[in-house]
Amino acid sequence: MNPQGLQVSTPTDTTIVLIRTFHAPRQLVWEAFTDPAKMRRWMLPPPGWIMTVCECEVRVGGALRLAWKSEDADPVMTLDGVFTEAIPHERMVHTETMRLGSGETVGTLLETHEFSEKSGVTTMRITQAYDSKDARDGAIASGMDQGVEAGFKQLDAMLAHAA
Amino acid sequence: MKPCGILNHMVAEQSPRLDQVFHALAHPARRAIIRQLSGGERNLSELASPLRMTFPAATKHVRVLERANLVRRRVSGRQHLCRLRAAPLKDAMLWTEQFRRNWEARFQALDSLLEEMKSVRRTTP
Repeated sequence: MNPQGLQVSTPTDTTIVLIRTFHAPRQLVWEAFTDPAKMRRWMLPPPGWIMTVCECEVRVGGALRLAWKSEDADPVMTLDGVFTEAIPHERMVHTETMRLGSGETVGTLLETHEFSEKSGVTTMRITQAYDSKDARDGAIASGMDQGVEAGFKQLDAMLAHAA
Repeated sequence: MKPCGILNHMVAEQSPRLDQVFHALAHPARRAIIRQLSGGERNLSELASPLRMTFPAATKHVRVLERANLVRRRVSGRQHLCRLRAAPLKDAMLWTEQFRRNWEARFQALDSLLEEMKSVRRTTP
């Protein structure tokens, strides 16, 4: 595992914490996280999906709205949120509700982003707080269908000495 | 932030064993014990001393690890020998690993974008 890369941890039953560093000043990182044109560049959907809506109004009470559509069928997925805190370049907190095209809610969470900078390197910390442990576990498990076999091989090597 | 959340409702059937693994990993002392055990079999008192922990406290943590099937303990004379079982750990690591990779792929795209933004800023007075 690359220690420079993303670190994921689950400090409590209902949270996921993501920590990563970027070699850029935090003003730029903030801009990349909050300017819709920039967000579209890196918030890549899974294969077969395209982003159709990306709106982000980062101020207390401002809205976050993202939507995706499947390339070859009807399914859509929306994410709606409201900012509850916004300290430019430093901290933002927003709610997040994900819905299917049918209107069915598939998950709600509170997401906190924190950015700190040291000598031009920005450390990002995202805390995702889910409603329940099941919802948290679900978010982690949601990527399991991809690349599982490749993951096993890597872990086999890593854990060879521990068995 | 991800349509893969669509799969959320598929998860209820995650095994209770995985819950226990995550509970077991949620305490720094137990993670420290796992690190020690990754070097091989250890006596329980050997595990307790670097953690500045009493024998009963270490026993309590080892029990949690045993329940999650992460540690196997065998008694030999007066010694309680503990051994790491990697398989459940592997399940749990794999579980978060795929989540991590999905996000890391996005953050690598963000790395490229930030490089571009930095060079734009350098060339624009």
